[in-house]
Amino acid sequence: MSQADLVQLRAQKRVTTTCTVKNGVVEDFSVISLNGVGARVLVDTKSWGFNSTNRLDLRSVQDALETAIKFAKASSKLKRHKIVLEPIKEVVAEASSPVKKPVQNLSTEDIVSIPLDAYEGARETGSQVADAKATYISIEDDKYFLSSEGSRIHQDTTRVLLFVDVMAKSNGLICPASENLGHTGGMELFDKIAPRVLGKKAGEKAVRLLKAKAPPSGKFRVVIDPALCATLLHEAIGHPLEADLAMSGGGFGNQTGKLVSSKLVTIYDNGRVRGGLGYFPYDDEGVECKRTVLIENGVLRSFMHDRTSAAVARVSPTGNAHAWDYSVEPLIRQTNIGIEPGNYSLEEMVEDVDEGLFLEGTFGGQADANADFTFGFQNARRIKNGRLAEELRGANVAGNAIEVFKTIDAVGKDAVLRPGACGKYQFAVQGRVVPAVRCEIMVGGTGGS
Amino acid sequence: MRDLVHKSVKTLQKQNIKQVEAFFTQTQTMEVTIRNSETLAQNKLDDCGVGFRVEIAGNKVGFASTNNLNEKAVLKTGEKALAIAKVSSKVPDFALPEAKRLPKVKGLFDSRIAELRVKEAVDVASRVINAAEGVDKRVIAKDGRVVFESGCRGIVNTLGVDFEERETRAFMYLAGSGEQKGEVTGSCYDYVFSRAVDLEPEKVGENVGTMVTEMFKPKTVKSFQGTVIFGPEAVSYQLVDVLVDAFKGENIVAGRSAWTRKLGEKVASENLTITDNALLEGGFASRSFDDESCPSRNTTLLRNGRLEGFLHDATTANALKTRNTGNASRFPGGFGMTRMIVGNGYRAKPEVYPSNMLIQPGDETREEILSETKRGVLIESMAGFPQAGSGIISAQLSRAFFVQNGEIKHSIKGGMISGVAFDWFKQISAVGNDSKQFQNSVVPSIRVEGAKIVGV
Repeated sequence: MSQADLVQLRAQKRVTTTCTVKNGVVEDFSVISLNGVGARVLVDTKSWGFNSTNRLDLRSVQDALETAIKFAKASSKLKRHKIVLEPIKEVVAEASSPVKKPVQNLSTEDIVSIPLDAYEGARETGSQVADAKATYISIEDDKYFLSSEGSRIHQDTTRVLLFVDVMAKSNGLICPASENLGHTGGMELFDKIAPRVLGKKAGEKAVRLLKAKAPPSGKFRVVIDPALCATLLHEAIGHPLEADLAMSGGGFGNQTGKLVSSKLVTIYDNGRVRGGLGYFPYDDEGVECKRTVLIENGVLRSFMHDRTSAAVARVSPTGNAHAWDYSVEPLIRQTNIGIEPGNYSLEEMVEDVDEGLFLEGTFGGQADANADFTFGFQNARRIKNGRLAEELRGANVAGNAIEVFKTIDAVGKDAVLRPGACGKYQFAVQGRVVPAVRCEIMVGGTGGS
Repeated sequence: MRDLVHKSVKTLQKQNIKQVEAFFTQTQTMEVTIRNSETLAQNKLDDCGVGFRVEIAGNKVGFASTNNLNEKAVLKTGEKALAIAKVSSKVPDFALPEAKRLPKVKGLFDSRIAELRVKEAVDVASRVINAAEGVDKRVIAKDGRVVFESGCRGIVNTLGVDFEERETRAFMYLAGSGEQKGEVTGSCYDYVFSRAVDLEPEKVGENVGTMVTEMFKPKTVKSFQGTVIFGPEAVSYQLVDVLVDAFKGENIVAGRSAWTRKLGEKVASENLTITDNALLEGGFASRSFDDESCPSRNTTLLRNGRLEGFLHDATTANALKTRNTGNASRFPGGFGMTRMIVGNGYRAKPEVYPSNMLIQPGDETREEILSETKRGVLIESMAGFPQAGSGIISAQLSRAFFVQNGEIKHSIKGGMISGVAFDWFKQISAVGNDSKQFQNSVVPSIRVEGAKIVGV
């Protein structure tokens, strides 16, 4: 294999179990068993090639390697810049995610009972619940990483998730609400919150919102709860701090060492947060995941890197190269991104606001490399003279992250671990460790200003 | 693989089952990624697998899939689907299509894609980069993808279905932005969805380059209610999402759709006619049979604003005792979490989704539509997600322009559009003749009166 500067092989077995109960019916119960190998090579110190296959025999893997080399060479003559990777010491490791209650012990009946309980919890909240759906998902991964640098890493990980989506309806008005749980680990996920309780929470919210008014539109001083802050952090700060996006110009590019945010804000990414959905001891290039401080007291310290972007920026890789599965190449992804907690209680954050909004819950969002973002909140409360007032329905907020994060003037004292997901080219599961924050943001409600 | 699938279906048939369906795909994907003015990597993805749906007495259905194609693993997967069916609850009105004659659909396979060499794919990527950056030196080809896919899709079921279809697809997108004296524009995208090999990289690159140069020196706008023109990309994304939700058979069965029980009623402007056409020659989502084997057809959903039909698969059509429109899809768009985790094709059960949803183009050119606009906003692209069911959209304006006296005055910085898409459909004052193919839609520009822009 002297034709390649570096060879990385990733073999994986994955079993995904999903069970959806919709309106009382086990609508979708599936088991998906996948296995395969992804072969990735760097050639001519310039160009990457990749080939994945679901055939696991030696001949197929050799063919995949040869194709990866051929593919890599196809563009090396066009490349202007060399990729001189920082060498990695040989890593030989066995890493398993801690699991207290293994999913393998569940019978098919046990699995069905999880989303069924959550569904029933939602249904119990009233006849206005027009539609309720609960989905249980477990992902069992068994991954091997081998490289021509001598690394041999075996990682064994289980993840469990539960989502509840409810729609309440009355007089033509439709109000959605959702709740979700997820971690790296086993069935102990439900020790703190039972599925039925989670379903009930979502149902109660949807029904309550039927009586709420639409939120206003315009720029507001807002307090953002941890669930929504998780989306703000992931979309608005996380994405622009991914080196591949940052290097494409705009956003945080060329801002290292500069004040880019309120001084109250310290942000990190940490693949080793126990239980975090983005728990990864090693990334998919064999780099150890650790805590990387991205923004410290408002000053930009680091981006999230894979080995290629780290080589270009002349820094060490940060363990952020992750592939959704064996079949696709690793990309720069967040693991568990977090904001260090501050000093404020929720009451203290609200009492300093004369006229504003308290935004809660998330419906997901989007961000551009120049840090423009938009995402949805599920519900809100008006803040009047330092007190929480009437409840309002959800809408979207938008802005530029750099501008919005400069307006943060309070950070909550309790950081909460939240599950997250992202669809940047490929899917990824991630964690977020977030407190509430107070800032200024544009709200796109339909209820006037 | 087909033999293996037949064998497994026969083995399952010997057990106490009602129906069995096996869906299989075999795909080879070649992909060149673009990052910061260069090609980044060349990838090849080879995948094949099979998914079984097993129905037992009492309308109970189980699903299991695998890409481990040794005989033992495939048989075990069929058994797993059966075991799951036993613990599942009744799916009311569950049905699978019977074997029927298939229509001939042209333009689904281009042998030039199947035979394409990686160097040719790299060449396409280089040409799109050069074309974009050749427009103006401030333009950066930030990010993009050139994808060529060839393969086949097949279904065998116990009602006599035994279909297989070869298909190719080519896809390209390029995102560009511009930099000038520290000012960085937002991303501008262009896409091509094709079944044939030629992706016209020069045209796409020039489009992106031109879009970027139009984005400099944006200004804020004040909030107002008035004329909004949605370009094809803006229509294809959030407005089509709202339509899909309203037309989906399962949402009609459950009463979730805003258009439930409104068949025959006028729900939108005269200007709006919508069909779902899986027979469209060379259409990106065209096919001769849907992903559970129903023959493809062209279905009118909305004619001059009057509701004429919905999208159905075998089960939702059976529930409403209406004709199956052939809209079972194992490659749906959207952002469903389970779908994103599990993946598409053989990995998942079908769901109701459009093939090529067509908004019938009008007579006016884009220029004519603009020239009639006294004061308004042209939205080429917007970000965010619509609220399922209710049709509420509150989207960020990511590429939008202020229009006055028929002319584009400047690009817009910040700002959102906020309102209910179902209201906008009633307020359409013009439909353009500039239709563009997207993954599951072919849509033109649309002009809406009385929409609300949230400014700074």
